[in-house]
Amino acid sequence: MTTATAQPTTKLWSGGKSPFNISYGKVMMWYFLMSDAFTFGAFLISYGTIRFSQNVWADANHVFNAFPFTGHANLPLAFVSLMTFILILSSVTMVLAVHDGHNMNRKGVEKWLIFTILGGLAFLGCQAWEWTHLITGDHQVLVNGVVQHWGTTVTHNPWGPETLFKGKEVATPGPIAFGGYFFGITGFHGFHVFSGVIINSVMLIKTRLKHFELRGHYEMIEKAGLYWHFVDLVWVFVFLCFYLV
Amino acid sequence: MSQVATAEVFHHDDNAQVKRIWKTFWILLVLTILELGIGLTIYTIHKGENPSHTLVLMFKGLVCILTMAKAFYIVSVFMHLGDEIRNMIMTIIVPLLLFVWFIIAFLWDGNAWKNLRNTDAGSRIYIEKTHEKTSVPAKQNGQKD
Amino acid sequence: MSNEAILHDHQTGTHDLGHAHEHHHHETFITKYVFSQDHKMIAKQFLITGMVWAIIGGLFSVIFRLQLGYPESTFPWLEDFLGHWAKGGKLDPEFYYSLVTMHGTVLVFFVLTAGLSGTFSNFLIPLQVGARDMASPFLNMLSYWFFFTASVVMMASLFVQTGPASGGWTIYPPLSALGEASEGSKIGMDLWLISMSLFIINALLGGLNYITTVLNMRTKGMSMTRMPLTMWAFFFTAILGVLSFPVLLSGSILLLFDRNLGTSFYLSDIVINGKILPNEGGSPILFQHLFWFLGHPEVYIIILPAMGIASEVMSINSRKPIFGYMAMVGSLFAITALAFVVWAHHMFVTGLNPFLGSFFVLLTLLIAVPSAIKVFNWLTTLWRGNIRFSPGMLFAIGFVSLFISGGLTGVFLGNSALDIHLHDTYFIIAHFHIVMGVAGMFGMFAGLYHWFPKMYGRYLNNTLAYIHFWVTMVGSYLIFWPMHYEGLAGMPRRYYDFTNWESFKMFAGLNQFISFVSIIVFAAQLLFVFNFFYSIFKGRKVTTLNPWGAASLEWSTPIRPGHGNWPGEIPEVHRWAYDYGKDGRDFIPQTEPVGEDESKH
Repeated sequence: MTTATAQPTTKLWSGGKSPFNISYGKVMMWYFLMSDAFTFGAFLISYGTIRFSQNVWADANHVFNAFPFTGHANLPLAFVSLMTFILILSSVTMVLAVHDGHNMNRKGVEKWLIFTILGGLAFLGCQAWEWTHLITGDHQVLVNGVVQHWGTTVTHNPWGPETLFKGKEVATPGPIAFGGYFFGITGFHGFHVFSGVIINSVMLIKTRLKHFELRGHYEMIEKAGLYWHFVDLVWVFVFLCFYLV
Repeated sequence: MSQVATAEVFHHDDNAQVKRIWKTFWILLVLTILELGIGLTIYTIHKGENPSHTLVLMFKGLVCILTMAKAFYIVSVFMHLGDEIRNMIMTIIVPLLLFVWFIIAFLWDGNAWKNLRNTDAGSRIYIEKTHEKTSVPAKQNGQKD
Repeated sequence: MSNEAILHDHQTGTHDLGHAHEHHHHETFITKYVFSQDHKMIAKQFLITGMVWAIIGGLFSVIFRLQLGYPESTFPWLEDFLGHWAKGGKLDPEFYYSLVTMHGTVLVFFVLTAGLSGTFSNFLIPLQVGARDMASPFLNMLSYWFFFTASVVMMASLFVQTGPASGGWTIYPPLSALGEASEGSKIGMDLWLISMSLFIINALLGGLNYITTVLNMRTKGMSMTRMPLTMWAFFFTAILGVLSFPVLLSGSILLLFDRNLGTSFYLSDIVINGKILPNEGGSPILFQHLFWFLGHPEVYIIILPAMGIASEVMSINSRKPIFGYMAMVGSLFAITALAFVVWAHHMFVTGLNPFLGSFFVLLTLLIAVPSAIKVFNWLTTLWRGNIRFSPGMLFAIGFVSLFISGGLTGVFLGNSALDIHLHDTYFIIAHFHIVMGVAGMFGMFAGLYHWFPKMYGRYLNNTLAYIHFWVTMVGSYLIFWPMHYEGLAGMPRRYYDFTNWESFKMFAGLNQFISFVSIIVFAAQLLFVFNFFYSIFKGRKVTTLNPWGAASLEWSTPIRPGHGNWPGEIPEVHRWAYDYGKDGRDFIPQTEPVGEDESKH
């Protein structure tokens, strides 16, 4: 405001300035992320609640044991670790972009934003592969005394406890909610990654057009960065809830 | 720390800041690898003859703690929340405490539904099915379920 | 980049607008009245949309009250009006449920959330904290247009062939999840969910703006504890909305999946029309948890703004400082915090673990403490005051009366043992209509009568206002007080017809009476609507800057402030907003510096 002149920091709350020394845009972004944390929190807690109400659940080490181009090799958690690595790396490139923005280094911002966007796209590609692999998978499931062939979808879960059928070990149907929650939550997260990629691309264009240089600050990059790190943060918890525990 | 001040800090210790970012990256990577190691340990425990549920639960608790550590580093360093003034940090942390009761109440109730289902709403005692692989007879043609 | 420069950046933006009228800046009808970014215009947009919804929602209640009060009669004019929903003038049972559902949805969300906090947060926050506009005027505009789109979708659902949603405003699955289950669970339910998702985005955008504006945009000298209580109330309301609405969004998305993608989040072991559904493993109680995690904070989203408005109006019209300012702020905070941890008290009889329920009983009963603090502070503010019974003041006093009568029955319902008997009876209808519905409306009326001069530069007609107040006040008690007796006798809510029950036959006359009074009260509201629109154009003009003699900042603006609120510099604030009757002076505005020999408050 007009009255916002230098004041001793002890009077942060007395009006005329931001009590946190942060612009309104960043404050808004932070509280938006709080709100979004409750959206994701509600999804993950619902998932936990339904899982707690079941006697059996799909074992992540069996469901997620495939890796592209390795055929039927049993590699539990390998692919999702790669995805996590990609996302963490893209978070680092994002924070480096923000850092270069602080230094008014336009070239640096552009470079790191491009890496971040590539990281986001790579993550989305991995997720597309994983989804395809699960949905088109072919698993023998014993249903009412007949062996059927199922993939993992929102209506079918072939990962129930195994049983002996004609002397062979065959899976029985597992809790249906597994697929719903897996595709629902990773899909919602993927949607966030996707929108993050869009936001970062817009930022890249605006940086190239020297919008921020003329404005004298790269605060928009910081806000986009907050969003991107939040997406990474959510993945940390998705990784925990679906793959590890 | 105010943004004006941070900008100055960046000027003075530009390299220190970049180093801090990369250091955080390595910490996150190590934590993820540790988590992965624990995940695979749980996998081998499950494959064993007599899986110890207490041990598995302990490892799962450990993974949760490691995840919280990762979250701390992302929020504090990457999102620069650690560099903000204390009041700002508190406005983020305090509302998140709601998750404590949110999680406890929901999971508690979820567990209660399991008990209700397993005991036909308390009308009988629950005997845990040991997942012994009993042979299921093949379905005959024309047989009804 | 320095914060000051960013703020200044923004400042120049709104500053230009502040001088727009002086330079005859090009402002078209579209930018001024439709896609306006002026918080005052957006507030009026919320208000008038809310009023349209209030009339529709109120009319719904009148129609279903006709069925409840006169179950044996037919009303042929209803058929002209509703078509196949009222064949032969007799309300269709399916449509009765739709009416009940829509009445609840519309009043709770569209009127008492968007219409109340949307209007007054938008209008008052920048004026009372001393800002040119909201932190982000653009997002503010977007917030209204999301609300408008949500309104259009909800309105459209009234006109689909199978009718609007009919599972009650809480839309519990499995009824709401299965299209085969009822007419209202078909397309109407999808539209309901879509509309509500849009509404949640509106609440989020608005809430973020309110929080940020209160935190970041206060004028110099306006510390948090110098803000009027309205500001504190809207601030906490916004926090409630930002943190709880997303949970309903999650719940709605999962319900949409269950409806359209065949998932099993809420469904398990269901046989419908003799067909066994493949869904298995979900739990309908999960939805109730998610719904009430929002639903409970939602009732405080409704009542907190009313509390803030009542406090402000009451202090001004008692010519006394508000009693216990810090206690008022503290109790608002306590209510906000408790609002998040008590949700399952709506679910005592649904299969919730009873042991878990006992924790919720304890937490619920704790709410009585801050509520009582507030009530006593209002009463002591009135005590020995120099009371001016203006229409706004009457509604503020009425609000306190209703909050007491409705709050006391909350203590009954918060006990799970009593709730087993009272759950889903007319007792609960009486409780929440008095404490939340009517009290929320009273807060809204108090605010409208009080700030109408600031909004339109004219006064509302006083005679009509007094008629409006007394009819509404007496009528509300006459409608809802008898419902306590019906509820204690076990009469269930949401039933279409009670004539088949021997035990409820004795209430036939009472039901008729309630319906009769509700029609009169509805007519009184139409009187208010007339007064409102008439006074916008023909009301008595405001001639002084500060007609009520109020100390807060909004009355230091011109009578009809332009975009930017203050023509010159934003005034600096030197004291709190409640210096009434101090040192022999009637009131001292916030902008006046503290004198040297002034007594401490």
